Amino acid sequence: MKKMLFTMLTAVLPLGAAQAQDAYVLGVSGAMTGPVAGNYAPVVEAMKAYLEHVNSRGGINGRQVRVVVLDDQAQPSRAAANAKQLLAQEGVLMLINSSLSSTYAPMVAESKRAGVPLYFAGAVCPTETYPPADPLQFCSTAFGARLDSQAALGFIRKNAKESVRLGLAAMAIPISRGEIDYAEGLSKTMGMTPVEKQITPPPTPDYTPFATRLKDASPNWMWSWAPWVAQVRTFEAMRRLGWQGSYVTWAHLNAEEELARIKDPGFYVIGTNALLEDDLPIHAEIRAVAAKARLSHPVSYLTEGFVAGLVLEQVLRNTPWPPAPQKVLAAMNNVKVDLKGLRGGPLEWTKDNHFRTRQHYRVWRWDPQANRIVRAQDWQAIEVKR
Amino acid sequence: MQLAVNILVLASIYALIACGYVLIYRVSRVLSLAHGELMMLGAYGLYATASLFSGHPWIAIGAAVGLAAAVGVAVYLALMWRMTGESVLAAVLATIALGILLRGAMILAFGTQTQHPLRDLGWQNASLDLGGARISAVALTLVISTVVVYGALALFLRASRWGIRMRAAGQHPLLAAQRGIGLHGIYALAWGLATLTGGLAGMLIAADAGLESTLVIIGLKAFPAALVGGLDSLVGALAGSLIIAAAEVLLIHYVDPLLSEVVPFVVLLVMLVIRPWGLFGTREELDRV
Repeated sequence: MKKMLFTMLTAVLPLGAAQAQDAYVLGVSGAMTGPVAGNYAPVVEAMKAYLEHVNSRGGINGRQVRVVVLDDQAQPSRAAANAKQLLAQEGVLMLINSSLSSTYAPMVAESKRAGVPLYFAGAVCPTETYPPADPLQFCSTAFGARLDSQAALGFIRKNAKESVRLGLAAMAIPISRGEIDYAEGLSKTMGMTPVEKQITPPPTPDYTPFATRLKDASPNWMWSWAPWVAQVRTFEAMRRLGWQGSYVTWAHLNAEEELARIKDPGFYVIGTNALLEDDLPIHAEIRAVAAKARLSHPVSYLTEGFVAGLVLEQVLRNTPWPPAPQKVLAAMNNVKVDLKGLRGGPLEWTKDNHFRTRQHYRVWRWDPQANRIVRAQDWQAIEVKR
Repeated sequence: MQLAVNILVLASIYALIACGYVLIYRVSRVLSLAHGELMMLGAYGLYATASLFSGHPWIAIGAAVGLAAAVGVAVYLALMWRMTGESVLAAVLATIALGILLRGAMILAFGTQTQHPLRDLGWQNASLDLGGARISAVALTLVISTVVVYGALALFLRASRWGIRMRAAGQHPLLAAQRGIGLHGIYALAWGLATLTGGLAGMLIAADAGLESTLVIIGLKAFPAALVGGLDSLVGALAGSLIIAAAEVLLIHYVDPLLSEVVPFVVLLVMLVIRPWGLFGTREELDRV
């Protein structure tokens, strides 16, 4: 009877707590479903698949990594509940956010309350990760507000054959509008003339009315920093209206696939992650891991998640056993991650800089002669100082 | 001229979507809040048939249109039938639940990636010149489809036996039933037609701009157009769509593009204050809402 009671008790004891003693436990709250899941689910799935791959090679410091993923559907209330659950029930060493910026506040609050680091992977890097950084917030996501506009406008200035009449396109969400407003001001200091700025609502059934106003202003270059749908629909609508200029836009997860679909030599994407076109040895590893984990997303969508996986692997490697949030935090405050060519250089976090010390940009476009994607500009570095 | 074309295209999008809201409301007095999801399901239907009948675009389109109508009938038979005799609120809540279910199911079935049904059909979206204005081939098809759908519906409702029965069931269901009209058949037909027209709108929007989960929200954006025109009037849906589209496009062009997001609801509020039953709606019917 005693034996039976013991068996029953051990069966109902929380599994997570038991496993937490044997593994590094990380907790993710991500937009795995819902209207914006396409931007975040591939990141989380690739990151998880990479860490499972690490586990299959013996784990980190002889221990397994366990990733608990909870879906927040990009809703703040769900993100708050997820963070509470991850901290209280799973006892995670680190919270990971891969969702819309509206979910940040509740997760930041929970992270602060528990003193557990919060890592943004695939989600927009909050300004608190830039120097001087918030002690608990870290980010590896490719795009970086202000830096992206500096790099894009730098590319335009370098490649423009005549004086630049700049058109700007954003989506009516704070981060996109803020960046395009910044770009508008920056362009003036760089000797360009901003001629029109269009902010499209998310979503809109027809982008032609917005594109009409942009086209009527006759820009010869366009810069758009927004969710992919707004960037590309505005471009396609402008082309249909007969606009002939060059369009620079941010390289989201699907950029490689879309360049091949659009096949327009005047459509440029600027980004910080290498494309599969580069065919690096790490790309073969990504393909193998994706096949093994049976990921449903195209391999070209997985780079951002792999970057996050590499970062987590390095951080945990520097976290001595037994782990604790403070030990993880110490490791995160001084880490340099070799990204194996997935970016233009290593990702480095310091005590004051939880974004990265250097951001490298590359530009691609479609080459109709070669019938493939080509580099329009190789890695250019920007120091992250502010 | 370009502005006129832009207004016409946007009005056609809204009108084609709004038509489904009106058909269901007019016949059964149920406000379908799953219409956006059913519209998206129609678009995913085209994506699926384009892959299934690769190289045969017309078969794929025919199958997708047929599938959309069948889904509408199936929704009625499987769910809305049970709502007959229940309060209108219960029926509306059922459509909300249906919408949530469909949204989740579509993500599970088709994933979160943007799809391009037109490319899968093997076609390109050419840019056409229309008296100095530019319009995409798909947008032109959308305008023509809207004209054909509304023309066919007008003819059907006025001249066909089933159409007259449908109007009778909408005006006085009890009397219609006493005269031997099978209400379930009429309601199923209304759901089928509404889902077909909504699905067609979804297919054309997806063909023009790509298919992704935000299509649901576009379905909801047509709702003010239906209300402004009058929820039980197809002519009203056309007029409401034209008013909303004109207000949006003109504000984008002459004032501030951001206002385009709020103007449909401003127009709607003004209409609700001045004439709550809409431009062409029936007063007594809307009083019940």
